Amino acid sequence: MSVEKKEVRIAVTDGMLIPSGKDKSVVTAWSISLIFAICSIVYLCVNKPDPYLDIIKFLPDGILVTFKVTVSAILLTIPIGLATGMGRLSENKVINLIASTYVEIIRGIPLLVQLFFIYYAIGEFIQLPDLTAAIIAMSVCYGAYMGEVFRAGIDAVDSGQTEAARSLGFNKTETMFMVILPQAWRTILPPVGNEFIALLKDSSLVSILAVSELLRRGREYASVTFNYFECYLMVALIYLVITLLLSKAVSIMENKLNYYDD
Amino acid sequence: MTTNPIIQVENVYKFFGQLTALNDVSLNITSGEKVVILGPSGSGKSTLLRSINRLEKIDKGHIIVDGQDITAPECNINTVRQELGMVFQSFNLFPHKTVLGNLIMAPMRLKKMSKEEAESIALDLLKKVGISDKAHVYPAKLSGGQQQRVAIARALAMNPKIMLFDEPTSALDPEMIGEVLDVMTSLAKEGMTMVCVTHEMGFAREVADRLVFMDHGEIIEQGTPEEFFTNPKHPRLKQFLEQIL
Repeated sequence: MSVEKKEVRIAVTDGMLIPSGKDKSVVTAWSISLIFAICSIVYLCVNKPDPYLDIIKFLPDGILVTFKVTVSAILLTIPIGLATGMGRLSENKVINLIASTYVEIIRGIPLLVQLFFIYYAIGEFIQLPDLTAAIIAMSVCYGAYMGEVFRAGIDAVDSGQTEAARSLGFNKTETMFMVILPQAWRTILPPVGNEFIALLKDSSLVSILAVSELLRRGREYASVTFNYFECYLMVALIYLVITLLLSKAVSIMENKLNYYDD
Repeated sequence: MTTNPIIQVENVYKFFGQLTALNDVSLNITSGEKVVILGPSGSGKSTLLRSINRLEKIDKGHIIVDGQDITAPECNINTVRQELGMVFQSFNLFPHKTVLGNLIMAPMRLKKMSKEEAESIALDLLKKVGISDKAHVYPAKLSGGQQQRVAIARALAMNPKIMLFDEPTSALDPEMIGEVLDVMTSLAKEGMTMVCVTHEMGFAREVADRLVFMDHGEIIEQGTPEEFFTNPKHPRLKQFLEQIL
């Protein structure tokens, strides 16, 4: 038997580091970052209420829009990603090719360019509210990335599981939804969580599309008061707090999914 | 015992690229018969077994299970598979379900059984394989032998007419092989039609009505355990038995 050469792959995600649920220590990169961000916000607002407190009062509308974009896009990317991932694993050549081409095209174009393109392309045909168009654009972009995550997660489930399910008499769909996907969630969740966090951060890109989310709110405030430094500092800190909390939430969910481990 | 075969394998060929995994294999198995398939690794015995419930698609020939030609394109393999229990070398229990969950899943979904009915059947089966105390445990907490007994119970929960065993004890620690073979032996005594691929000669001798020896994708010799062990005819079988006994 030949010795298999082990392929070394270095994966650096553009999301956050999901904190390990098993690490019980208090002082971690996560807790330090969170405390730093919150303390900075509080300190600045208390000691220099003008302009920091004014800024912080101005931003919540933007945070709300950021959440709207992110959550809606997440809800849309899950079915898109699932369909794409399953399409990429399909034995049907046409479906496979469609899914692969979609992924290939999306991955090869910068997100910002895609946003512009899809947003204005949609505008050519139907008049949609800015927010809706932005959400659709984000979902189309992230659906492709999510598709790759789903594909890898489904692929990682041992083929013996499929054989066992099929030999009991389950058809392909039942096997996928009752046996494969419930197991794939576990492998999928950390990278999916990462994609969600990356999506939240990238939602700042839709600020160029006349959608008044967090970053754009900051810009609006700054363009009136000329407090550019203070404004973007606050925006940055708020993003940091949100992504840190989100990464913790993902980590907690991940632990919940490990219930059947030994 | 009926004389009509419940499994008919007719002139079956299977190719993996250049390799001929099954080379004109024909085999009839009657209802209630216990057949043990022996042979060196790579002889095609697992491929033959897996072809019977179409986990492997054959390239030529016919396989008829319980009157249905599973090689016909119009055959609904899912209903045929409900009659064929399969036990794998690597157990393949569903790790996200408890032992009970593993057993009731298929009967509830495919036989539209109520949860209560499926559970009561499942608990009876667990008692039969001797692990009723583990009903609410996840498979990861069980030993290999226990997992394989659950896997047998899971297959039996669909009340199949035929049980296929693909090297059910090969992945087990030696001290756990006995408990699995005991379950298989008692199943055989109840009259189940069984087709086993195994290296357990003691089991083969005790339980099998017929032994089938395969090599290079062909059935080379078949006969009762008596004939097989005391008077093997083919030189390759003789050689195989010398190595293994």
